[in-house]
Order: sequence, then structure tokens, then C-alpha cells
Amino acid sequence: MTDPDIGSLETEMNRGFLQILVLALLEKDMYGYSMVKHIERLGYKVEENTLYPLLRRLEKNGLVGSKWDLGEDRPRKFYAITAAGRALRTSLLGVWKNQNRILSEINKENIDAQ
Amino acid sequence: MPNNLDAYLEEISHFLSGREEREEILSEIRSHILEKAAAEYGETGDAAIDKAVAAYGPARKVAEKYLDGRPIIAPAYKRYLFRYTTLLFACHALLTVIAVVFKEDFVLFPFVFMPRLGIFEALMYLPTAFLADLGFVTMVLYFITQSGKDVKLPWPKFGVDLDEVKPAKGILLSRIATAFGAVVMLAVTDFALYLFARHHTIFFRNLDFDNPLPLFTTDAGRRISLIVIAMLAASTLTLLVKLFTRSLWVDVLSSVVSLVLIGLLLGQPLDNLFAVPVVEKFLPKIKFGARFLLLFFALTITIDLIKHLVIIGRRKFVQSS
Repeated sequence: MTDPDIGSLETEMNRGFLQILVLALLEKDMYGYSMVKHIERLGYKVEENTLYPLLRRLEKNGLVGSKWDLGEDRPRKFYAITAAGRALRTSLLGVWKNQNRILSEINKENIDAQ
Repeated sequence: MPNNLDAYLEEISHFLSGREEREEILSEIRSHILEKAAAEYGETGDAAIDKAVAAYGPARKVAEKYLDGRPIIAPAYKRYLFRYTTLLFACHALLTVIAVVFKEDFVLFPFVFMPRLGIFEALMYLPTAFLADLGFVTMVLYFITQSGKDVKLPWPKFGVDLDEVKPAKGILLSRIATAFGAVVMLAVTDFALYLFARHHTIFFRNLDFDNPLPLFTTDAGRRISLIVIAMLAASTLTLLVKLFTRSLWVDVLSSVVSLVLIGLLLGQPLDNLFAVPVVEKFLPKIKFGARFLLLFFALTITIDLIKHLVIIGRRKFVQSS
């Protein structure tokens, strides 16, 4: 039997993960390019053309705010998490921790059964 | 002169047309690309910007990520598109036949206006009617989808899904049947050609092979015989091709050819047709019967054609979704 292609499944998993990741990352103000590079340094890759639409959706829902900084040699748009974003992040991290615990327990059961 | 970044942003802008935050989106992308070109390629010249643009992805795909993902027709309603179109078209086709046979125009306001049609006009009208029906059903399903409500659309339980029609059990058996049909049709076509070569017609009013009497007058007999032979040859060729491929496009092509040939038959003048004297009062009835029969054949072939196109369309939908 060949290994299943995880590409599309990984994309689906990443969709939720990316939202928590961005909300976690924006505890301090960051602009898009710096977020991409920061995430890359942590060993994960985010498509740049995926990040900006996500930021826009989060902003539309009041979870992040943004402002343009025109002081540098080129304009940069900085994003920051809002109070609503922090509340959501806490809830999402709770969901993620619970999912993680469930998978760990099932994994442990499987190892014990072998 | 606009550079490649401007051209790229212009292209994205085109795909984002109608979105009020378009300018803001374009500014974000411009800022990111300039930042990336400077940070990763060490400069902000055209070559560095081109690399950053290429890394950002094709304009259409970038734009699509900003657009709402709601489909035109929800997946649960996709099958109704073909179910209802088929049903509506069947009604449309029936009304067309009535309009032709009774030579009347009528209106079922606001859905159907059926002008008085000749046979050729009817054959030309049917494909247009199909597209109109498809468009109408699409529009209804579009509004249902956009309403976001869970609408349970009616469809009888005994209705058989066209895509659930399973192919005949045993491909070998089906191939044998096709081969048998092809042989029989080949023999019939050959025999028709033989008759035509000898007597310039294939229609006779007696069964005396030594001294056959033609049913139709010379010119009419020749024309009608040629068309019928062409129909036989087309059917034979279809069966032969189907021995090697199961593509539904073969059936589609065969139906189109048959419709054209029936159209030619319908277009033949019926005056001075018979080589035998026919009682005058029966002549209109014979003409009407012949036209009705041919139109009935055309209708069944059209329905078959639509069925095959619908199956092809549904398969493409299933593959793409």
C-alpha cells in the first residue's frame, strides 16, 4: 500500500492552526513580511498570499487592528491583536489543548495495546 | 511607464473588481513585495521585484483568496440542476412538437412562448430552448444557494439518477451485443447499397426481385434512399466505433448526424412523391403521418442527445468537485 498524499489534508489542518498562530504572534505589533520571516525561523512556512487575506478577515471581525507606518523608507502596515482577539485566542488555545490531550491519550492507549 | 509590479497589481485589481477595500489590499501587497525584494534580493530594481512578484503567486489565485468562497450553486443542489433541466426541457420539447404539428403559437405566461414553428425552425429552436432551460434552473438554484436557507427540493423517489444508471453487467457481453448489432447493420447497409446501385432506390411496392416496382418517383426515390442509406451507414459506423471506445461523445456525434439527416428528410418536398396513384383525400393524412413519425424520431434522438450531454456534464462536475 502506498503512503497517502497528506498535501490536501495538511492544508485543511493548517487553516485552523494559522489563525491561532497569527493571534498568538500578534501580541506585539508586527507587519506582514516580519510575520512571515518570524514564522519561518520557527520552522513553519506560511504562504504570503494566504497570510494577508487571513489578516483582513481577522480585522474585519474585530480580532486584530492595523495602522500604516509611513515613517520608514517604505510604508508598512502593522497589525496588533485586540481585546476580542485575545479572548478568542484563549478559547482557541483551550480547544487545541483539549484536542492535543485526546490524541495523546489515544496514542498512549494504542501503544499500550501493542 | 508602468513596471511589472504595477502591471501585476493592475491584474489583481481586475480580479478584485467590485470590492470596496481593493485599494487597501493592493497597498498591502505592494508594501510586502517591495519589502521582500529589498530584504531577500538586496535591491529594489526590476529584477528583484520580478522575483518577489513571481514568489507571491499568480494574480488570479491571489485575488481569489480575498473573495468569498460561497459557490454559485451549493453542492447539495448540483444534481438538481440536471434533474430539473432535463424535466423542463422534456416539457419544452413536447410543446415544440405540439406547436409544429398543430401549426399554432401559444403562450404559457410567463414561462413559455411558443411561436408557430416549421420543422427546420423547431430543430434549430430545441438547442436554444435547452440553454434557456439550463439558465432558468441555474438562476433558481443560484438564488436558493445565496439565500443560505436549507430548502428541500422535490424529486420523486422513483426518479432514477442519470449518473446512477449502471453500465450493463459484463463488458464482454455488452461488446458481443454491439458486435452483433454492427454485423447486422453492416449487412443491412450493404444490401441497401446493392439495391440502390441496381435500381436507384431502396423503396419498392412489391417483393419481386427480378421486376421490382419503385414506390416513389425517380428523383424523390433517389434522394430519400440516399438519406436513409446515410442514416444506416452512420448507425453502422457508430456501432463499429463503440467496439473500441465507450466514450459518450460517440453517441453525441451519432445523434447530431441522425438529427441532421432527419432534418434533410423532413425538408424533402412531398408533392409528386409516390409512383403509384394515391387517393387524393388520403394524401394530406399520409404527409401528416410521415412528418409526425419523423418528428417523433427526432424528438427521441434529441432526448437521447440531451441525456448523453447531461451525463457527460455531471461526470465533469463530479470530477471537478
